Amino acid sequence: MIPKISPGFEDVLPVEYRELVQDGSYGRNLRIKDLGTFKESIEEHPLCAGCALSLSIRLIVASLPCPEDTIVVGTTGCNSILMPQLAIHNIHSLFGNQNAVASGLKRALKIRYPDKHKDVVVVAGDGGTADIGLSMTMHSWFRRENITTIMLDNEGYSNTGGQESSMTREGVVLYMAPLGKKYPKTRMFEIARESGCAYVAAVSPASPRRLEKMVRRAILVARAIGPTYVQIYCPCATNYKFSPSETLKRTKDDEQIREYMSSDAKELIERLGE
Amino acid sequence: MSFIAKLAEDLCTGCKQCIFACPEPNIIRFNGNTKKVEFYIDKCKGCGLCAEACKFDALEITLA
Ligand code: SF4
Ligand code: SF4
Ligand code: SF4
Repeated sequence: MIPKISPGFEDVLPVEYRELVQDGSYGRNLRIKDLGTFKESIEEHPLCAGCALSLSIRLIVASLPCPEDTIVVGTTGCNSILMPQLAIHNIHSLFGNQNAVASGLKRALKIRYPDKHKDVVVVAGDGGTADIGLSMTMHSWFRRENITTIMLDNEGYSNTGGQESSMTREGVVLYMAPLGKKYPKTRMFEIARESGCAYVAAVSPASPRRLEKMVRRAILVARAIGPTYVQIYCPCATNYKFSPSETLKRTKDDEQIREYMSSDAKELIERLGE
Repeated sequence: MSFIAKLAEDLCTGCKQCIFACPEPNIIRFNGNTKKVEFYIDKCKGCGLCAEACKFDALEITLA
């Protein structure tokens, strides 16, 4: 559904919303290459300077196949401070509940709009996905829900001062993990694949074209086949104590690009030319 | 004290790499007529990622 301004309200609507209607991304089939030529979000956000997570969200939003018919489900984390600024429908769920909320939402939308695609995309951090919400995330995959789960992996609990998460790498010392992490990073890519995801990918914002391709594939496979998972590596300058200007260099040095697709997903992706 | 990005317009080739590196939305915009970028600088946080990404030395980080 492409929003319009009701007649008579043009001059009272805040300028940010007017710009969104006149110059937003809805219904225009825009891509990452078009960034800089359309209005991306309602207003600026309060995340740290040089945050890889906020860059990833910009890139995700520009990759959506159908932004006007996408609902993002988020949960607690640095990213949740940015979500309300997005020019896309979004819901904040209780910490860890995001995949359960997204499952119900997708089922309801299928009933309400049987002839339309409504893409439900979970965007959550590593704490929300791999720790606190792991059971709900996995059960949504076991149930073969038609939703996409995107994890922004900043390898820790960043907005509460730097505690380790299960996605923190072994040996890493953080402000609130002074003895260093004692066990390895959780293998979410493998967990997703074994739990029934039809498409699983790992990427970072240092490879924007690849990120775009993977996000699009994940959403299109989720529409037609079943659950999909994309893990985006987003190192955190504030808690890993490096200069914000180094964020992309570090991201590039450490990124892992991986992709798995089931045979059904492969056939679909080839058929759609994605 | 705060930092912001500063563009040397004559050096800009319009390659857009800075746009793909900036974590902040709606700051760097592409002008289709001049084929160069423009900065809506009041939202810039001075992180320096655009300057790192620019291969043509068109960007530097300066005191606001
Ligand atoms: S704490 Fe880290 S992840 Fe959170 S906004 Fe700041 S840089 Fe980004
Ligand atoms: S990266 Fe440099 S040359 Fe390319 S558009 Fe940006 S400022 Fe211009
Ligand atoms: S310094 Fe950072 S926030 Fe400012 S324009 Fe460059 S990348 Fe964007």
